Amino acid sequence: MSRSRGRRGILVGLLILASAPVLAQVDIAGVWRPLPRNQDGSGMTGDAAGVPLSAAGRWRADSWSPADFDVAEWVCRPHAWDYSLEGPLSQMRIWSEVDQATQKLVAYHGHINQQQQETSIWMDGRSRPSANRLHTWSGFSTGEWDGNALVVTTTHLKETYIRRSGLMRSDRAVVRTRWKRIGSFLQATVIMYDPVYLAEPYIRTTMMWVNDPALPMEPYPCEEATETAVSRGRAPHFLPGRSPLPGLDPDARDRFATPYEARLGGPETMYPEYIAKLREFRRPTRPVTAATEFGP
Amino acid sequence: MTSRTTVLRRRSGASWRVPALLSASLLAGAAVVSTQGVVPGQPGWPPRLAAPAPGEIEVLPVQGNVYMLVGAGANITVQAGDEGVLVVDTGVAQMSEAVLAAIRRLSTRPLRYIINTVEYDDHVGGNAAIADAGETIPFRAPDYAAGPQGALDVSKASVIAFLTVFHRLAGASGTPPRIPEEGWPDNTYSIPQKRLYFNGEPIVILHRPANNDGNSVVLFRKSDVVSAGDLLDLTGYPRIDLEAGGGIDRIVESLNGLIDVTVPAANAAGGTLVVPGHGRLADHAEVVYYRDMMTIIRDRVQDMIRRGLTLEQVKAARPTREYDARYGRDTGPWTTERFVEAVYRSLIRS
Repeated sequence: MSRSRGRRGILVGLLILASAPVLAQVDIAGVWRPLPRNQDGSGMTGDAAGVPLSAAGRWRADSWSPADFDVAEWVCRPHAWDYSLEGPLSQMRIWSEVDQATQKLVAYHGHINQQQQETSIWMDGRSRPSANRLHTWSGFSTGEWDGNALVVTTTHLKETYIRRSGLMRSDRAVVRTRWKRIGSFLQATVIMYDPVYLAEPYIRTTMMWVNDPALPMEPYPCEEATETAVSRGRAPHFLPGRSPLPGLDPDARDRFATPYEARLGGPETMYPEYIAKLREFRRPTRPVTAATEFGP
Repeated sequence: MTSRTTVLRRRSGASWRVPALLSASLLAGAAVVSTQGVVPGQPGWPPRLAAPAPGEIEVLPVQGNVYMLVGAGANITVQAGDEGVLVVDTGVAQMSEAVLAAIRRLSTRPLRYIINTVEYDDHVGGNAAIADAGETIPFRAPDYAAGPQGALDVSKASVIAFLTVFHRLAGASGTPPRIPEEGWPDNTYSIPQKRLYFNGEPIVILHRPANNDGNSVVLFRKSDVVSAGDLLDLTGYPRIDLEAGGGIDRIVESLNGLIDVTVPAANAAGGTLVVPGHGRLADHAEVVYYRDMMTIIRDRVQDMIRRGLTLEQVKAARPTREYDARYGRDTGPWTTERFVEAVYRSLIRS
């Protein structure tokens, strides 16, 4: 009797498991309010700890100047979609497009309030556009279900920043985003693959939203600047070895007293084993004010 | 009794094993379904993006009346309408037949104009064959009695280029021309701009010296497209021909000029689209990134020259180092080393 019950239990379990991939294809549509999350890094300008920069990525960051944001042509440069997920805490709307005739899901479309970035996640199995098509800030995305996770693969991206202090990803990057809905919560994990500026995939895991249908979306009109602090035709940058950014100053102390060596980033700084190595480095002691986005 | 029980047990076993096997196979199937597509670390990663095979021409609609042809060497821009066809650059000579076939898929109207943005082989190689397939609208009847000046050759498309492009393609007296005579520019200009109105669209050809002193940039003002030629090469560092008047300062200045006529739509994307000499379709942001890169490299080499570094020391310092993985080349006719040397020499001259 008990063996028979056990077998029935196994059978029921197997049937539930077998049906899971179908039943668990949840709907990610809705209006989502971002939940506070850990900021990535210390916030010190020039800090790259935890970012698996390649040598090229490190060099690129070494010459970056904050005045880049004052270049007239870049005044309306938005946060790219993948940066918007992690960077600003901004509400997001996701809605579905359904083919009326077949009632099949064609796509999810997304809109992030901050700087009005939009994306489309094509669910209809369409092939990727030609490599010669225009690249955009959101790229071209296709989605497929992996159990109850929607896995989105994005190509055709423009070059943009990983952090707004010169840490870049190239236009050859491919971004994988895993969306999971857990009740009224939505979670995203972003994995960035870039053969140019990253030595290993970079993973962002802390993005979480709660469903909040009453949230409004604000317009974001942006007009290209005509006069800025940077004169026409200039591209602000620091010559090699001459960056004054606090993150590149060995003595400057961030809020965690992160050693200078760690702030340079690189694949090693992503892993837990690196914490032990951190103890071998000198802790910076000179406080720096007004050097971070989040305070000293 | 024992035997019966055994049978029942067997039946009982079969009764749950079959659905269990079915469930297990469903699970396996689900696993296959859930992992289909491109997965990091597995064959097929990263996602392969379609591009024309060797010998094939890809036709991309840009916007308005303008198309981009990829695969014939340099990118070719095609504007087509009721009045006929205009092309910007003609690719390499051996692809002319495929280029003409691609153009004919877009329009069967007469091919009226060719505009050359620069005189490199992969931009002008098809001039003769493609011009020969076109015809010019005569502004008067030919007067053969008036000698060579009166005999209008209207049986070919008009080839427009900056004057120095003609000089270099035709070559000095006594030297063999770079391309057949039929492909030489016969409609040159030597002022800052030349203008046409064709297919209901203003077309402005701007002289923008960069790779050499003969670059042209072509604006399709109604379609809102710019054909930039090798001023914008999204596959590599720009070629600089010092002896023909090219230079890094000219490239930076002309890229700034290109930015001036490229207006982005909302959020710094789209709007005016740019057909580069090589590489994918672009917009304002790509031009700005490229301008930034050229400016930064120029400034670094300039600083090294001020500090007294020799050419070999400049090369060793790798002033292009963070861009090399994206734009650099170690082989072929235009390597990173040649580019750095050209930047250095152009700044020494200035």
